[in-house]
Amino acid sequence: MYRRSLLVGASSLALAGSRAAQAQGVIKVGFPMILSGPGALFGEPAMKGAQMFVEEINAKGGVLGRKIELIPRDTKGNADEAVRQARDLILRDEVQFIVGTLTSAEGPAVSTIAKENKIVFIAPIPKTDQLTAPANLHPYVFRSSSNTTIEGRTAAEIVAKWPVTKIGTIAPDYAYGQDVTKAFVEHLKKIKSSVEIVDQQWPKLGEADYTPFINAQLGKKPEAVFSALWGGHFVTFAKQAKPLGYFKALNNNLIGVGEAGSIESTKSMGADYPVGIWGNTYDVFNWPDAPPAHKDYITRLKKYTNQEHPSSWPITGYIGMQFLTDAIAKAKSLDSDKVSAALKGLTIDCPLGSMTMRAKDQQANHGQFWGRTKMDPKYPFAILENVTRIDPEPFMG
Amino acid sequence: MSRRPVPWVLVLFLVLLCIPWLGSRLYTFIATDIAILALFALSLNLLLGYTGLVSFGHAAYFGIGAYTTAILMKTYGVPFVVAFPAAGIVAAGFALVFGFFCVRLTKIYFAMLTLAFAQIVWAICFKWNDVTGGEQGMPNVPYPDLGWMSAIPGLGSLRSGDHFYLLVLALVAVAIAALRRIVASPYGRMLSVIRENPERAEFIGINVRLYQLSAFVVAGFFAGLAGGLFGIFNRGVFPDFAYWTKSAEVLIMTILGGMGHFWGPAVGAMVLTLLNQQITSYTEYWPLILGIILIVLLFGFRGGIVGAVVALNRRLRGR
Repeated sequence: MYRRSLLVGASSLALAGSRAAQAQGVIKVGFPMILSGPGALFGEPAMKGAQMFVEEINAKGGVLGRKIELIPRDTKGNADEAVRQARDLILRDEVQFIVGTLTSAEGPAVSTIAKENKIVFIAPIPKTDQLTAPANLHPYVFRSSSNTTIEGRTAAEIVAKWPVTKIGTIAPDYAYGQDVTKAFVEHLKKIKSSVEIVDQQWPKLGEADYTPFINAQLGKKPEAVFSALWGGHFVTFAKQAKPLGYFKALNNNLIGVGEAGSIESTKSMGADYPVGIWGNTYDVFNWPDAPPAHKDYITRLKKYTNQEHPSSWPITGYIGMQFLTDAIAKAKSLDSDKVSAALKGLTIDCPLGSMTMRAKDQQANHGQFWGRTKMDPKYPFAILENVTRIDPEPFMG
Repeated sequence: MSRRPVPWVLVLFLVLLCIPWLGSRLYTFIATDIAILALFALSLNLLLGYTGLVSFGHAAYFGIGAYTTAILMKTYGVPFVVAFPAAGIVAAGFALVFGFFCVRLTKIYFAMLTLAFAQIVWAICFKWNDVTGGEQGMPNVPYPDLGWMSAIPGLGSLRSGDHFYLLVLALVAVAIAALRRIVASPYGRMLSVIRENPERAEFIGINVRLYQLSAFVVAGFFAGLAGGLFGIFNRGVFPDFAYWTKSAEVLIMTILGGMGHFWGPAVGAMVLTLLNQQITSYTEYWPLILGIILIVLLFGFRGGIVGAVVALNRRLRGR
């Protein structure tokens, strides 16, 4: 029995070893991402963006004359699995770099693995400030996405310009919701001392019935509300809030962070979307002030994904990969320490314009798109009006 | 003619001890994973195979153990020597409380209640942000200080992952030896009597509930130890450690390997882990493969892998 089990073990181990030894010369990049379950709505397009980038760069000869091989793995939306996949990518597939993870639980968990294995890890989506907070920062973790400080403070900058003083907040009761709301409230109070936070609602993450929270908030009569309900949570919330006259009572003075203004959110609600509120998004396919690079990117993306109105998420994977390959080119090496050094302060020229990975906190100055939603007869879903990309540099801290 | 039987277990242990010298981090990594999960599966089998109690919530004690060690080591800086046994003790404590209620029920009701308690544990881990880190879990659990191992001749050249593996292997071996001792003792026999016929056991004066509860606590203790090791190995603990899918996974390991044999669950843990590692790099449809394996197993080999091997062996010898 023991001999048998040992044989089974030994043969599968040998198989693993031989596979890892193949494919010399390519640069292997692990891409752990949510590819199944509800999170795949964002994870899948993010992977598409990274894949498109890789195909394009490989067609031009790759980096340092070597092709990139992207190895996507499904994290199933949980940190435990993300860790397992990341270690598997490093040990079995022998990837030299990792770009990926989606949730604020996955990012920090994989960061630990990156630190231990001295593998440069670029997080293209997780927003929690914890990921790059001084206590957790190490030479191998970088973030190309926005973070809760940038997002909360940008929302505060916008709300400060509204003629309102009584503010309410509603956010899911967990790390992301708490962090982004805190960033919003603190910054708003700092830049506009006349504001008063009249109400704060904390439904649990994944709440099915928002009615009590909506009614309680309406009772406090805020003039404007900051919402951090993201993705499908915002959809559920808005569908319940609309018939209760919530948006009307606020005069549409609601700003929804967590990509409430993304095409994914507006599309999934269609005509039910509370048109007139403010929201943010990582990308807009119809950016009026788009630089030629962005227009070109959207054309390529449409072709690559076969979508007439492409998703707003591929840009996250695309930019994450671009930071990596630009850094490799700058370092002229695949050595983790050299690439890490090259990434610090690196400015890339991406479809959204120029973007810099700050040396001090290894965080990109990635501002999102913000705007007021409106219906446009050209589309069966709400789009952002007067959409602007806000540069977060002045208030990133 | 009496021949001394070959001490296979000792041979296996010595072989496993050599894995770090193969020089591959991957092999050491997989071996560590399997060793810990084998202990977890063996602890479940004390309930499943020996006492005849089907627990759907065994991951709760694994999770409690993992969080105990992680919180002690990361938040309070307690050394591993204390934090590791604490994992078993705290898990056993919870098993005592939960088990007290569970053993009052039988069969499917018992199974459902174990599941209910496990879900409560999961929910607490998920929500108690200040202590457990909430849904983000606790990344960055420190490695135990294994500097002393480098001082041992021959071990100095190994990496810290290899040192940890040797530690895990030694601790798991001791725990398994203890489990083996328990099931072979008169106490263990009593558990089997209860499994075979609880009414009859009651008639001959055995306090069935008390024995079941004690088995529940012992199983919880060893699951806690496995959890404590796994949290460090995984470099972080997460609420999913206590989720029902983890309970299902260990149940599958036990059944796959064969719950009728002491070593069955360990073999199950090994086979399932290796299969999972191999298959997930080819396909996203791991659950599909797992489902097929289970169906084949349940219809073809009721006794699991070890059961099938033993049966085959017997038939060959019979000829």
